[in-house]
Amino acid sequence: MRVALFIPCFIDQLFPKVGIAMVTVLRRLKVDVYYPREQTCCGQPAFNTGYWPEARELAARYCEIFADVDAIVCPSGSCTAMVRNFYPELLGKASLTTAHTYEFTEFLVKKLGVTDVGAKFPARVTYHDSCHALRELRLKDEPRQLLRNVQGLELVEMDQAETCCGFGGTFSVKFPMISYAMDEVKVTSIQKTGAQYVVSGDSSCLMQIDGYLRRQNLPIQTISLAEVLAST
Amino acid sequence: MEPARDNILDRVRAALRVEAHRPLAPTSAPIFPAVSDPEARFREEFVALKGQIIENAEALRMFLKGFTKITTDGSELVGKAVGEANASVHECDLGVTGCDCLVAQTGSIIVSTLSAGGRALSVLPPTHLVIARRQQIVPDLANAMALLRKRYNKRWPSALSVITGPSRTADIEKILVMGAHGPKQLAVYFAE
Amino acid sequence: MTTSAFEQFTHDATAKTADLRHRAVIQKNIASYDAAVARGKSRFADWQNARSHAAAVKWETINHLDRYLEQFEANVLANGGHVFWAETAEDARAHVLQLARRHGVQKVVKSKSMTTEEIHLNDALEAAGIHAVETDLGEYICQIRGEPPYHIVTPVMHLTKADIAQTFQEKLGTPPTDSAEELAMIARARLRREFMTADMGITGANFAIADTGMIAITENEGNARLSFSLPRVHVAIVGIEKLIPRFEDLALFWPLLSTSGTGQAITAYSSLIGGPRQEHEVDGPREFHVILLDNGRTRLLADAEQRDALHCIRCGACLNTCPIYKNIGGHAYNTTYQGPIGSVITPHLRDAQEWSHLAYASSLCGSCTDVCPVRIDLHHHLLHNRRNAIEHKFDNLIQRFLFRAWLWTMQSPVRYAIAAKLGNFALRRGFAQAFLKPWTAKREFPMPPKQSFRDYWRQHGTGA
Repeated sequence: MRVALFIPCFIDQLFPKVGIAMVTVLRRLKVDVYYPREQTCCGQPAFNTGYWPEARELAARYCEIFADVDAIVCPSGSCTAMVRNFYPELLGKASLTTAHTYEFTEFLVKKLGVTDVGAKFPARVTYHDSCHALRELRLKDEPRQLLRNVQGLELVEMDQAETCCGFGGTFSVKFPMISYAMDEVKVTSIQKTGAQYVVSGDSSCLMQIDGYLRRQNLPIQTISLAEVLAST
Repeated sequence: MEPARDNILDRVRAALRVEAHRPLAPTSAPIFPAVSDPEARFREEFVALKGQIIENAEALRMFLKGFTKITTDGSELVGKAVGEANASVHECDLGVTGCDCLVAQTGSIIVSTLSAGGRALSVLPPTHLVIARRQQIVPDLANAMALLRKRYNKRWPSALSVITGPSRTADIEKILVMGAHGPKQLAVYFAE
Repeated sequence: MTTSAFEQFTHDATAKTADLRHRAVIQKNIASYDAAVARGKSRFADWQNARSHAAAVKWETINHLDRYLEQFEANVLANGGHVFWAETAEDARAHVLQLARRHGVQKVVKSKSMTTEEIHLNDALEAAGIHAVETDLGEYICQIRGEPPYHIVTPVMHLTKADIAQTFQEKLGTPPTDSAEELAMIARARLRREFMTADMGITGANFAIADTGMIAITENEGNARLSFSLPRVHVAIVGIEKLIPRFEDLALFWPLLSTSGTGQAITAYSSLIGGPRQEHEVDGPREFHVILLDNGRTRLLADAEQRDALHCIRCGACLNTCPIYKNIGGHAYNTTYQGPIGSVITPHLRDAQEWSHLAYASSLCGSCTDVCPVRIDLHHHLLHNRRNAIEHKFDNLIQRFLFRAWLWTMQSPVRYAIAAKLGNFALRRGFAQAFLKPWTAKREFPMPPKQSFRDYWRQHGTGA
């Protein structure tokens, strides 16, 4: 099986380490990966703002680039949800390409059947469920199964794990006061766990949470699930 | 001549020319778990709601001693249990009625204008006592609705109420307070 | 120069999100609601299946609404009641006033009804010299304070005991107390006098039963029962979407509504009114009037994509789960219907352009859709409203141009890479400050690394 990498634009530019970590883990599991260089963006910013014709162009483009592929893996719940759940509505039809697009943790657990990737990360960690991964892709246990098998890692649950962090794409800058309040509620919940790290499968959420933590000079660090799994 | 009626119905019909997406069909599995012991379940639910069960004739006698002004629905069952009314519904401290049935699933008592002497009698007095028979206990709401349908179909009373515990409010800081407008106390006595 | 709805919203949301006391009160209330709902759901054999049943019944009703409305009307009339069809809020208000005049009404007792809020009935009654008393404890408190209700189910969620005690002290002259029970008993005594002397009772309805011509009213306090039992005229204002087909459907809808609304198995009083006092009955109103209210609902009905928003049973669950609602509160929406359902339906019931900001004031987390007991696709409808706003050109030319330019850039990996390098450069050199201000005012923004993933792959990807 050859697996195509779908690296969202903001991960490409702002958090390439997350994409690199995902590749590291996949290669450790002997998965043959390649990166179609034509890819740019899934179109979610346009779609979420209501510019569906523009988003449709990019959706069609994605389906061309990733046509005839066994599997497409993406280190982002929100971009995966865009492709799998919303492209069919946008394009007026489902396709194998959209159906074969997987979020990284769901690919590991549900497609490869792997929950132990041989990682080591000794720290107290709490997991933030990104809304797209949780409610669009229905992923809840999968990241936790992977984390529980990380050597030395202590997983504690926060009471507001499933509550939105407040990013929501352009929502975070269109309604910054609401976004910030939600950020604060999330960080308060994280603090109550005593965790050293907050982990998520979505780097956009981590960017939002990190933005608050760093401005407030709090000792908690954010790290992507891919990076934890790549860690040895 | 009702233009508004026609306008609204015309707009509805025009709108419905396009069918909306159908939701996923439910399964045929029961919506609520079956109630295995209706009387026990009724007791459990009713008491949890702060309802009071008057266990026997002696307990009923003691209960009634606490009230001086009693109003009743005038039915035979109630008359046998508590005697005659001596006050109006507006002045009484105790209102006594029958009921249509009792629902084990929720600990509810269903009354109507016919089974409980009108609309106000089961809601105005500070304490409401229901005289019932054990045979009136049904397992769940579905059974209760079927009973009411059978009893009243085509000749419905003008009002029915499913009463579940005394009147209550949690509007103030989610603190539970009994007797917001309706009865503060609700009791049931099973006559033989 | 009047403030636009969007400007008002921004102002109110800014104030509320900074109000930490408000945040704490809401969170405390909702935590206890969440616990109660979890207990309530466990009483169902399968909560998810119950939702599917309810969704199917509402789909059937709403998609054959003309038939069920006609059946309902015929049965109400057969039972001796009256039915008035109100196309607009104005029509509904005018009819209530006409009934009030006809019956020499000086005082009205009202039980909680969002439809009466929607049509601004109280103002019209007061203007006509008719004293309208809200009898639900929370609504009574709101009325005394001169505020609209804060939440669909719990109108004074935002007030503490102390706030309420102070209100009673100031407006009713009652002695100070910090007992919730005493406060409730003060209201009970005051309102009992009102019930006894009112000429007309006005209620809403939670459901309208087509096959028996009844309305169903769900409550815990008993004020609705008193409102439809004591005064000589009863008027119920019912949205046309409240229909359900059969009496028997209540065995599902009553517990569904209470579970999602408050976590209760069923509320203290779930009543059915089928008509005025009958000849052999000892009490009850001599006349019963149902006002069927359209007021924009047929517009929403005509939008087949969002028609399921009319399945709403007004439980308030979507408000209670919404992180936006929890942080900005109810008043900031400045609409009758708030939270996710309010944001979905308001552009259909009111001016779409003026209220288009509501669809964007959401992170689309989807929790609302998950909790809705009748499976309304709430958060996807917010996306649909956004799409509709752009289709109707409610956006500005700059934004429209920017997205076209953005699309053009993203259609070529070379253009994308160049734009990304430029953006990267701007961020690293601090040129994008003004652009990032809404973020950086209170949050750090990450500095982009020099090497993108594409760069990395070009250097290391294929081999290692």
